[in-house]
Amino acid sequence: MGDLSEQEAAPADDTRLRFILEDTGFDEVPKKYRRFYRKWEGAGDSLAPNEVICPVCKVVIRSTRELRPGDRVYCMPCMSRLVVVRNEAGTLEARTAY
Amino acid sequence: MRVRATPPPADIHDLDPQAFLEEVHSFEFWFQAVEGYLSGLTFGHRPETVEAELTDLERDRLVTVLCNYCLGETAALEGASGLIAIAPNRMAKIFLSTQVADEGRHLEVFLHRLRGLGVQQPEVEVERRASPSLQLFRRRLVDLVAGRDWEAAIFAQNVILEALEFAVFHRHAQSADPMTREVLQGVVKDERRHIGFGENELGRRLAGAPHIRARIGQVKKELDPLVLNTLEETVLHIGLPRSDQEQLGRAYLESVERLGFA
Repeated sequence: MGDLSEQEAAPADDTRLRFILEDTGFDEVPKKYRRFYRKWEGAGDSLAPNEVICPVCKVVIRSTRELRPGDRVYCMPCMSRLVVVRNEAGTLEARTAY
Repeated sequence: MRVRATPPPADIHDLDPQAFLEEVHSFEFWFQAVEGYLSGLTFGHRPETVEAELTDLERDRLVTVLCNYCLGETAALEGASGLIAIAPNRMAKIFLSTQVADEGRHLEVFLHRLRGLGVQQPEVEVERRASPSLQLFRRRLVDLVAGRDWEAAIFAQNVILEALEFAVFHRHAQSADPMTREVLQGVVKDERRHIGFGENELGRRLAGAPHIRARIGQVKKELDPLVLNTLEETVLHIGLPRSDQEQLGRAYLESVERLGFA
């Protein structure tokens, strides 16, 4: 597990892309939260700038704004609190923050 | 004075961390979640789903696999119900009450599936066919709960056992007959909560009391061979290639590695 303190801090600017989330049929959380999650469809699927995969349960977590390193996201299907980091490959991923 | 409920934030990720924990541990959250995917099902599958034709060998193998699933769910039911008494706080107790309901449902749907496959006395068949390694795991889990060892018992049940079940059920659902697939898909949705609760609860405990790490490491060393033996036997009965066993083993190990146990 990487040291989160070494990651870039989440900038407090207003230049991020914004997203309108729609229900994708994910049914494992109460209706009011469903638009924040979707299933990972495997090969051929890709993540949008507002999405990361939960490392615990592999569900795709979605935000209304573009994600950046240092952002906090929640995975409600598996109850995990996560922090967005940039991995060695340069892409964003989520890491557990117990 | 009138009290007004605070509206949820526009983005759920803006929730206060404590508010998030309160929400996802609540009975209300569980109830609304399971309502979404269990509503309309009968014993875990759609009523209109028809039984597939299986050869005698396929049926026999599936019965053995389901017997192991029943034993695993029995262990989880006994474990989760016993853990409520020693849970350190109200949120954990309420969450475990929902897990008890989930585990009871899982045991029931798997036993029902066995009856559907023509097994007259499913519980007798479970005793006869279940993996000795899994039976030993069950006894060890009961001992840990009876010994009131919260961290070790949560590790054994909600990290080790649930991670194994999550990985195996998910993979089995991809190649199972339609009725078994639907039952497994519903169970996997419940298992997401269980593995997440275990990993996050233990992660928080380890962060606050690092001295317990050595004890948990010892439990892992003791239980790992039982889990890996069970995995090997189950993969064989499901009829998956050996490469799948290695992949499932890695999936199981991922969660314990995230907690710092290599």
